[in-house]
Amino acid sequence: MSTAIRKPFNWRRWRLVVTGGAIVGTILLLAILAPWVAPYSPFDLNVAQMLKGPSATHLLGTDELGRDVLSRVIHAARLSMMVAVLASLVGLVFGTLIGTLAAYFGGIVDLILMRLMEILFSFPAILLAIVLMASLGTSIFNAMIAIGIIFIPGFARLARATAESVLRQQYVEQARAIGMSHTRILVREILPNILAPLLVEAAVAFSYAVLLESALSFLGLGAQPPDPSWGNMLNTGRGFMGVAPWLSIVPGAAIFLTVFGFNMLGDGLRDAFDPQLRDE
Amino acid sequence: MRGLILSRLAAFALTLIVASSILFVAVNVVPGSAARSALGIDATPQALARFEAQHGLDRPLVVQYAEWLGKTFTGDFGKSFQNGVDVGPELLRRLPVTLELAIFAFIIANLIALPLGAFAAMRHQRAADKGISLLASLLGAVPNFWLATLLVMVLTLHFRLLPPGGYTPFTVNPVMNLKQMIMPALSLGIVSSALLIRIMRTAMIEVLSSDYIRTARAKGAKEGVVVMRHAIRNAMTPYVNVAAVEFGFLFGSVVVIEDIFLLPGIGSFVLVGIINRDYPVLLASALTITLVVLIINLIVDIVVGRLDPRRVTRHQ
Amino acid sequence: MREYRPHAQGAARPALAIRELTVDFQRRSGLLRTVDKVSLDVWPKEIVGVIGESGSGKTMTALSAMRLLPHGAKIGGAIALGGRDLVNIGESEMRALRGDRIALIPQDAMQSLNPTMRVGRQVGEPYEFHRKQSYGAIWSKVVELLRAVKIADPETRVRDYPHQFSGGMQQRAMIAMGLALDPELIIADEPTTALDVTVQARILKLLRDIRDERGSAILFITHELGIVAELCDWVYVMKDGKVVEDGPVKRIFEAPKADYTRMLLEATPSIHRRKGAKR
Repeated sequence: MSTAIRKPFNWRRWRLVVTGGAIVGTILLLAILAPWVAPYSPFDLNVAQMLKGPSATHLLGTDELGRDVLSRVIHAARLSMMVAVLASLVGLVFGTLIGTLAAYFGGIVDLILMRLMEILFSFPAILLAIVLMASLGTSIFNAMIAIGIIFIPGFARLARATAESVLRQQYVEQARAIGMSHTRILVREILPNILAPLLVEAAVAFSYAVLLESALSFLGLGAQPPDPSWGNMLNTGRGFMGVAPWLSIVPGAAIFLTVFGFNMLGDGLRDAFDPQLRDE
Repeated sequence: MRGLILSRLAAFALTLIVASSILFVAVNVVPGSAARSALGIDATPQALARFEAQHGLDRPLVVQYAEWLGKTFTGDFGKSFQNGVDVGPELLRRLPVTLELAIFAFIIANLIALPLGAFAAMRHQRAADKGISLLASLLGAVPNFWLATLLVMVLTLHFRLLPPGGYTPFTVNPVMNLKQMIMPALSLGIVSSALLIRIMRTAMIEVLSSDYIRTARAKGAKEGVVVMRHAIRNAMTPYVNVAAVEFGFLFGSVVVIEDIFLLPGIGSFVLVGIINRDYPVLLASALTITLVVLIINLIVDIVVGRLDPRRVTRHQ
Repeated sequence: MREYRPHAQGAARPALAIRELTVDFQRRSGLLRTVDKVSLDVWPKEIVGVIGESGSGKTMTALSAMRLLPHGAKIGGAIALGGRDLVNIGESEMRALRGDRIALIPQDAMQSLNPTMRVGRQVGEPYEFHRKQSYGAIWSKVVELLRAVKIADPETRVRDYPHQFSGGMQQRAMIAMGLALDPELIIADEPTTALDVTVQARILKLLRDIRDERGSAILFITHELGIVAELCDWVYVMKDGKVVEDGPVKRIFEAPKADYTRMLLEATPSIHRRKGAKR
């Protein structure tokens, strides 16, 4: 009838991306709009309303100081997202730098840098984060730096692998032959060509950052009260789990949903762009 | 075989030295923080200087590191800044707690992952496979400290089955010990099983589609023999590699779980170290965890070599 | 006109009879038919070649007879092994036949051997699955088998792992496995494609000896005309899931009836000469 018909939207191929994207999008939106969508201030105390269960006025109940749990969870999303973005960025920038340099210069530079990355990688992540917090000091900003450092070896490995394949391309050899400077080749020729897989990796790092940040805050090493974070809310909530179980359930569920959404999005993107899986 | 072990040992020694220096540098990146936190914010500069001189903290970092490394190798982990207690013996007391927790959790993770992963692979692309894959994605997103909290809410507060925390040595009261260990081990193990289910599933799908599985069927092997004798062992090589990394991850996550369940292990010692800025404690306990993880990787490297006959003969 | 088929003379019924076989796969775009109404016979002691390009459905036809098709395949038509129906019997009945009455020698021997199991154990499995025997008895039978397929020093080689075998030895081990219980029918799916020419010639001679000495019928799947010319008594030519022509090897080479067969022969001109030189 008509050859101009576009290929129909392949739901099976994009369903993970769409579902994961919807979850992630909602959380991001709530995080950005927190001050406007949260029904109450996350800090306002109300002693008369202490430890009240979910109701029409407080959809997710109130905490031990009478603060609205829903509002605190929404504001905590803001903090989690910020930490996750910046930590992933720290890992992305330094990891890419190290991996690209290793691939570009090769030889002893490559050997030392990548061996070091390998060793960093063999540390249990949460332990390394905690140790770094020791000298940096406990604050949400430092938690972000520590998590970022943990991500460096992962990005470095990926950057090195992709950069190596780009380096074998002809245009890079030409650039070298005409005597272009190292920096120019790295920035102009290599960087733009290795960015895509690194950005997909960043999505994966993102969900891990949410988990690590909440773990650090749970241990009291990340966000400091009264600033709301899912981790420290859960930690405080545990003290009241007998009388106010929602204080433990709600922030944990928020972490779970965020991590699940990002994992789904990451898996979906990887599958959707995997040429091997395209036709089936 | 001996060549393999020797080369692995050399790599291990190198890794350990670099790892220890990374830990040392990480703890000491910001100069002077130890003294300040040990003495409090209103300590006089004189008092701070005295503390630093007393503990040798005023010397160059390299010298401090060399001294610390030398002492550590002879088994001297130093004394706690806080109370002057020897760190070494305290570590030895705490190590069994953490080992028991990690091993218990690891067993749980594998007991969940091996059958579920294998079963999903056998039902590839059918309902059971899709269900198990979804379960793995869900479990993978659960923070272990949240799972721990939920377990306490249900098993302790609601059903009053298990104690909320604490530790009794196995030799003193084995029943109590297990009761106290179940929830911490479940919290770690269930979460760890998520990745392992996926790995086992992928490995088994790969193996089950291989030609030698068809050969086994062509010989008239029953499905049980096909899976147990021919498939599982071949799927184990990739599985064990990832499981080892996961064990390391699990061993590192004990910090949070030990804190929740009041287990006096190495993990909670790390926390003591960081909250008190007690650097000898922090360094010693972090190094111990790292060492255990590295040793496990080393052992697995060699065991995986044995699992695959192709590698064994190459090194004979 | 029926062509003279020496192996059919005096035999009660074919070792393998396939009638109107269809194999379908469910795809999202609809049913995909890979084998389309194929009928073929393999008579006792006969070596029958099935020749075709990849995708012609020859391997699917062979795997149908073992009932080892990939998951999701649907079989139609009839298959009988020595008069016994293979399509409608239960999986456990089929399992009892596999490796005992009907055996498979696959294409890639290295991939077809379990890398983590000693060769001897693998070769002995047909005994283990179908005959209740002691390990000692199986072990000595395996040594005999390996000797029968001309593996040197079989007493020590039984303990080897597959990777310690050369390509030719791996294929010999697969053949030993196939003939362990003297099956009525051996299905050989391109067993020599992965091997170099001299090894290939020796393996083909071995298969002919097996037929001559043990009397198994052989269904030989291949895409190489040269092998068909050298080894087979009767040949089926397959294209796009259908049999386009069948007949005695000599006649097929000298007077092909189907255009496709003629095209195949023209594409490999050396065959005529090789065949002629032998006579």
